[in-house]
Formats: sequence, structure tokens, C-alpha cells
Amino acid sequence: MAEPAVLLEAVDLTKRFGKNTVVDGVSLKFAEGRLHTILGPNGAGKTTLFNLLTKDYPVDGGEILLRGERVTRLRPDQISRRGVGRSYQITSVLRERTFFENVWLAAYRAERGGTVGLWRDIRAYRTTAEKSRQVLAEFGLQPFSDRKAADVSYGDQRLLEIAVTLATAPQVLLLDEPTSGLSQRESERVKQFILSIKGKFTIVMIEHKMNVVMDISDDVTVMNRGKVIASGSPQHVAADAAVRSAYFGL
Amino acid sequence: MTLVAAQIVNGLAIGMLYAVMALGLSIIKGLLNVPNFAHGALFAVGAYVCYTLSTIGAPFAVALLGAFAASAIVGLLIERLGIANLAGSSYLLQVLFLFGTALVIEQSLVLIYGTTGVSLVPPALLSGAANLGFMFLPRYLMFCALVGALAIVAVWLLIEKTKIGSRIRAGIERREMVQCLGIDIGMLLTLGFALGAGMAGLAGGIALPLLGANATSGNDMMAIAFVVLVLGGLGSLYGAVVAGILIGVAQSLATLVAPAASTLLIYVIMTAVLLVGSKGLFGER
Amino acid sequence: MASINKNLLALAAVVLVAVAAPLVMPISIANEIIVIAIFAMATNLVIGVAGLYSFGQAMFFGAGAYLAGYSLTAGGLGLVPSMLIAIAGGAALAGIIGALIIRRTGFYFMMLTFAFNQMAFYVVLVWSGVTGGEDGMAGIKRPAIAGFNLDDRGTFYAVCAVLFVASYIVLRQIKNSPLGLVLEAAKENPRRTTSLGYSVPAAQLTAFMIAGAFAGLAGALYVLLYRFVPIDAISWVMSGNVVFMVVIGGTSSMFGPIMGAAVFVWLQGLFSLLWAQWALLFGLFIIFVVFTLRGGLIELFERLARLRRVREASHG
Repeated sequence: MAEPAVLLEAVDLTKRFGKNTVVDGVSLKFAEGRLHTILGPNGAGKTTLFNLLTKDYPVDGGEILLRGERVTRLRPDQISRRGVGRSYQITSVLRERTFFENVWLAAYRAERGGTVGLWRDIRAYRTTAEKSRQVLAEFGLQPFSDRKAADVSYGDQRLLEIAVTLATAPQVLLLDEPTSGLSQRESERVKQFILSIKGKFTIVMIEHKMNVVMDISDDVTVMNRGKVIASGSPQHVAADAAVRSAYFGL
Repeated sequence: MTLVAAQIVNGLAIGMLYAVMALGLSIIKGLLNVPNFAHGALFAVGAYVCYTLSTIGAPFAVALLGAFAASAIVGLLIERLGIANLAGSSYLLQVLFLFGTALVIEQSLVLIYGTTGVSLVPPALLSGAANLGFMFLPRYLMFCALVGALAIVAVWLLIEKTKIGSRIRAGIERREMVQCLGIDIGMLLTLGFALGAGMAGLAGGIALPLLGANATSGNDMMAIAFVVLVLGGLGSLYGAVVAGILIGVAQSLATLVAPAASTLLIYVIMTAVLLVGSKGLFGER
Repeated sequence: MASINKNLLALAAVVLVAVAAPLVMPISIANEIIVIAIFAMATNLVIGVAGLYSFGQAMFFGAGAYLAGYSLTAGGLGLVPSMLIAIAGGAALAGIIGALIIRRTGFYFMMLTFAFNQMAFYVVLVWSGVTGGEDGMAGIKRPAIAGFNLDDRGTFYAVCAVLFVASYIVLRQIKNSPLGLVLEAAKENPRRTTSLGYSVPAAQLTAFMIAGAFAGLAGALYVLLYRFVPIDAISWVMSGNVVFMVVIGGTSSMFGPIMGAAVFVWLQGLFSLLWAQWALLFGLFIIFVVFTLRGGLIELFERLARLRRVREASHG
């Protein structure tokens, strides 16, 4: 079987905050259509790595390649328009907007590529509205369509977070702890959803619950103190001695 | 040549006033994160109080202290009765409150003192000029620069070397930590606002013999102090001091070339700094 | 469907304001209200919709006023070109200044808009050969247009009223358009809006320029109304006043700023009749409003409406 093409790649990526090197020379390849999970204890630099990949933070060293093209100097909105979608660990849906508006904004951008109309009412964009309703339905969120995001449960906001990210029609999906703060049942729902889209997207997911990911991931990377300490198949990583000492404290 | 030297000295004195104004704004911004749109009115309060105390025979030093104290008290009331009660509401309401307060203060001054404005001859000791050999240096300008510098040093000592100062500093730099330490943050904010307001009043008092005063003369000062603060960089408490002096000197030198446009130059400098994309001379953001 | 009906209803209310105002108050006051209301609606696009707290909107109003005044007097131009120059000038100035400062946030943005406003004021003050400096620009005439004599107060009011309603429609469309939603999103969470793939500064700059254009239009009408440009038109107090109008009216719809402008102009007239120090009363009024009506007049009406609904419901 041919190796799947590398879609997103970090080359020697580095970020410092003052004297602390939070991401320290990380090189990783995220291959097309695979589910790649990044594990690591708190403070390992996982979320910062995401923030570098999406350019939320400026990069201090190294390069980011998207389909082999250097995108290290692009702005975060440009990265997003090139097909890197991202959900945040701390829910960052627009709390004052309805579920519909949240998804609509994402779907509209996907449809128009970032140009913004200034005349017609947002409801008059039929295909965008249709697409938004469809995405909400996929997540079972259509009952909340006209509710303000702030007015519904945290679990449903988490789901909206992922729905919004998906509505940007990304090729790479960066999911930052999609199950954090969810109940057992809600976690399971998210997990099932991720399984259902597995293969259709290139997914990179941050988790720190090892049991959640080992059975669904294609590739696993473990980070500790800003560095990659192991990377490979789940079985390979689980057997790695360095991982066991860093992660399980064994 | 002597003309240039004279203008530099003049600029240092005016710049010191800007620095005192801007440092006051900077403290208030740092602690409460609001642009104090009443700063100009507080400057005017200082000027008028200094005027009143001088006319009833108080020594000039006392009049200056009175200017500081009066504005500080007004500032204390503004924070306690106004800003503190608006803490939970929109930022815009706090700013509007300050805007309304400025109108009330200015118009009250007009009611008390009339619209014509006042001026003050500096005390005999500070009048006239010292002969430096190559030029005559007006004594009041030297005094102006000196008192401004002293005030800045005093604030620096207060903030860096005293317990209450270290709390103010902590309040600016890491608010959550101060709250965790169980310090009464409300009291800290009130004192900080009063201190900042007092500096505006002091600047008004010092400026009185130099520039005269009317109820709205503080607004030009306030606008310049905003520019100075931007140029100094908002992250830095003392960047404003350097920027204030630089602006004062630049403006003063510009009067040699184009007297009418010298104030405009301040804004040109600001625009230039923004164009270069700098974050102010010393700031982070 | 429901939202379209709501839009029509609001439009009807705005038209009603334009038609009824000169019937219930002196036409000059009504005229000032609808002109200033254009300015307030434009400011609401920046402050309410985009959440950019500008304290310098008077520079665009003033730019429009002076440009129109100059075009009509020394420029010798007709009404339409003069007004177009005022609109374009307001937009262009907002574009230049916005490009410099739009990436600054919160406190920084507020101070910079204020400082630029002050700069514009000084330019006008210093350049007195053209602007009339402190004395203002006088001697402006209302040219006739398409056979209408604008010196007739009713005709002039009608022209202003049409432009007022048109401005309302355009600004409301923009508020409800994708741009409006992107601006509201960026106001709440700029980082998320960016990560969705929108260029937040570009959207904000667009809004800033649109607001500049409408402020320029309002400035031009103001000049025609009084046949004079007072230097106050470009002072920072004017900027503060328009923010106040937007806040007392309420930022949640474009109707709020209209009410804010009405209350402001009416109160200013009333207070200035009462006392030379009317600004003192005005300051007290601002403080009063800040403490009592945090959601603006719109909220007051909504509260009253809710109260009535509750009462009707309880009566069965």
C-alpha cells in the first residue's frame, strides 16, 4: 500500500514565552485521511503546538508546511481559508449568537472564501442557510437553532464548537480536547462522531485521556515538556518506555 | 543658537508637565483600564485651586500642594461614587460617565470663575531670568521642570519603595494575584485614581503662571497626554515620562520654524510612530 | 418571514418619525434631529455593531461639513458634487486613519481616535485662511436643485428626510448583512472569528469607512441646514456627544441612535434656553443616564412593552 500523502507538516517548530521554551523543535507529519492523536500531560505544549499550526501565535523557529507549501508566515485567517479548521479546548463559540448564526458564519466563509457581503440579510442566503441547518442536524443540534449559545448546556456548546469547525469545510481538522468537560455519555457521542468522519478528513486531536484514543487513532504522538518523546502506531507508543515513564510515571 | 537652547529649556519644562499629566493617566489606565476623559477637567481644577490659594495669600508651594490635593479629592470622589459603581457594567458607560463628569466639572468652574480665564504672576523668587552667560533662562521654567521632575521621582519612590506602592504596582501588573492576597482592591483602585487625578491637578497648578487657565484649557493638555501615553507605550508606566519630555522639546523647537503648527507636530509624530508600526517607545502592545 | 415583517415595521416607524417630527416641533429642530440621527446611526455601526469604541467620529462629520462648505463657497460647486465630495472625504479620511489604528484594541483605539480627532481640530484651527479657524466657515448658500428651492424650509426638510430614511435602510441592511454578523462576531471573539477564516481588520476597516461616509453626509447636511460650519462640528466634544446619543438610544438596533439623537438635540435646545451653563445640566444628565438606563432608551421601551404584555397576559 502506498504511503498516504502528508497534508500538514511541522518542521522543527519552536515557541518560547520569555525564557521558557514551550514547544521545542517539534517535527511531525500529519498524513491525509488519518486520525493522529497527540497525547501528553498538562503543560506538554500540545495546545501551543496547535496555536502555532493555526498561527494564533507567531512562530519563533521552524516551518509549517501545508501540502508541501510553506505557510509559516501566513495570518491565521489565511491558514483557515486554506483548509485548516480548528476547535478550541476552552469552548469559543460565539455565546451571544444563536446556534444557527454560529454555524452560518462558518458555512458562509466556506462558501465564499472570505469575501463578505454587505447588503442582503443573512437569512436570504438560501444555500448557506440550508447547509447550516444540515450541519446542525448532523449533530442533533437543530432544536437549538434559534437559541443563543450561552443559553444551552455546556455539552451542547462543545458539540456546536465541533459543528462550527466542520462547517468551515476544512481538509485538516484540529480538535483540541473535544471531550473535555463532557459527561461519559456526551463523550461517547463525540467519540462516535469522530469515528464516523474518520477517513474523510485529516484529523489531529489533542487528548490527555489515553483510554479514549488508543482504540480509535491511526497514529499517536506523545509530547512532554515541549518535545515529542514518541510517535508511531498506538501499539508502538503504548509499549514505549519513555512514554510510560513520562506519562504514567512508571 | 541661544534661541535653540532657550527653546530646549522651554521644551523640557513643558515636557515635564506633559510627563506629569501622562504619568497620572498611565496609573489610572494601569489600575482601572479606562482612559480618564476627566483628566483635562482635573487639570483645570488644579489650576483654579492654585489661583484661589495664591490670591488669598498662600505661599506658592502651598498653592501647588492644594492643587494636587483638590484634584486628588475630586478624583477620589469620581472613583468611589462613579467608576466603582459601574465596575460590572459596560466599559463604554464608564467612559461616558467620565465624559459627563468632565462637562460638569468644567461648567462648574465657569460658574465659579467666569468664562474669561485667569492668570497668575509667579512669586518674586521665581520671576525673571537667570543669566547663564550665553543666555537668560527664565527662573519659572527651571522651577517648572524641577517640580515636575520631583513629582515624578516622588511617584516613582511611592510605587517602587513603599508597601502601598508595591500593591498599586501589583494591581497594575497582576490583578488576580492582588485579589488572592486579600488586599482590598477597591481601596487600591480609589487611591490609584486619586493619585493620578492629583497629578493632573499638580500639572494644572504648575502650568498656571506659564499658560494661564480657563475651564477647558485642560482638554488640550489631556489630548497631548493621551498621545504621550501612546508614544510611551501602554505597557510601561514610565515610558510616558520620556515620551512627554521628548514631545515637549520637539514641540518647543517646532515653534522656531512654524509657531502655529507646533501643536500639530505632536500628532504628526504620533502618526509617524504608528506608521512605523511600533508599539510605542517602551510598550509591549 | 417574521424578521422581514419586523424590518418593515421598523422602517414604517422611521418614516413616521421623519414625517411626524416637523408636525410636533419647530421644523428647524426636527431638521437638526434627522441630520444628527444619520451621524448617530453611522456611529452605531462602529460602536454598537463592531464594538470599536471610537471617540473621534466628529472628525468625519467635521470633514464632511468643511468639505461641503468649501465646495459650495470657494469651490463654486453645485449641491450634488459638494455632497459627494463630503461623503467621499469622510470615507477616505476614515480609510486612512482606520488603516493606521484599526488593529489597536480597546483602550488604545479609543485614545487614538480621540487624539486624531484633536489633530483634525488643530488642522482646522491653524488653517484659518480656508476654514475660518475659530470663527467657523460662514457664507454658505443652499443651491437650488432640479428646480427645487432649498431655501424653503419645508423643501429642505423633505430632502433631508429622504436621505435620512435612505441612510437608515442602508445602515440597517449592513447591520443585518454578513458583514454585520462578522463584525458582531469579532466584537465578541476576534480570535474565533479569525480562525473561521475572516480577516477581522478588513471587516472593521470597511465598517469604519462606511461610518465615515455617512458621518460625512450628515456633516454636509448640517452645513446646509445652518449655512455655517462652527468649529465645534469637529471638536472632540461632538465625538463624545454622538457616543452618548448612541448609548442613550441603545446600540441593539439602528432605531436606538435615532431616538438618542432626538433626545440629545431636543434636550440641548431645552437646556440652552434655560441656562447659559446648559452643558452642566447636560453633564449631569449623562451621569444620570449612565446610572439608570444601562441598556439605553430601547431597553426602557422593551421593559415597558414586557410589562404591558405581562399585564395583558395576567388579565387573560
